[in-house]
Amino acid sequence: MKYLAIFLTTLLVACSTPVPVKPKFPEAPQVLKDKCEQLRKIEGDRVAITEMLKVVIHNYTLYYECSTKVEGWQEWYNTQKKIYESVK
Amino acid sequence: MTQIYWMLELIPESVLLWLYYTALTAGIIMLAASWLVKWFPGISNYKLPIQLAGVVLTAGSLYLLGGYSTEVMWRDKVKDLEAKVKLAEEQSTEKNVEIQEKIVTKTTVIKEKGKTQIEYVDRVITQDKEVIKYIEQCPVPKAIIDAHNAAAEMNKAAEGKK
Repeated sequence: MKYLAIFLTTLLVACSTPVPVKPKFPEAPQVLKDKCEQLRKIEGDRVAITEMLKVVIHNYTLYYECSTKVEGWQEWYNTQKKIYESVK
Repeated sequence: MTQIYWMLELIPESVLLWLYYTALTAGIIMLAASWLVKWFPGISNYKLPIQLAGVVLTAGSLYLLGGYSTEVMWRDKVKDLEAKVKLAEEQSTEKNVEIQEKIVTKTTVIKEKGKTQIEYVDRVITQDKEVIKYIEQCPVPKAIIDAHNAAAEMNKAAEGKK
């Protein structure tokens, strides 16, 4: 009787099981995954100041394009984090 | 134990519950009867088997009822979590589209502005008499060009040091 009571108590011990549902890692937009372009160099030995200015403008454009992507990554991360944390 | 639960899953839930509650009731009745049999001399010899059967039935049915409740609780949790994950995935996709559109629009505007600026240099700045004089007489010194180009390739130096 004593052993039966111990056996039954053992059977009644609860088990903990993790819920087998996991959120999928979100895919980032393709536009964010494209690499930033390399800055342009000034070609030639005798270069007019206006040609140099055009290269500088082009490089500023590249900088702002790239910074837009960085801001996009930041926004993507913050948004996805919020969404992920809501699944609990 | 998993196989037992798998086999139990094949039986309809209502039948299972009915079986569990019947076994529990029978177990309790048997436990009560085991106390009462001592007043009936003819059957008092059966006290122990009745008590044993009562304990086994009560404990067994309570265990199975507990398992069933836990199973139902987990199923509900899984269902709830699956719904949340689905909603999160939809929100994530929506936000991705939103971010993608925002980046594409911003990049297009920046490219356009850059193009306009360069066109302005070609159209207006190079026509300025003062500037024309500079273009003709003062080419940018090579040292300045080299310094600019070196600055434009700073990242390559950093990559080389990895």
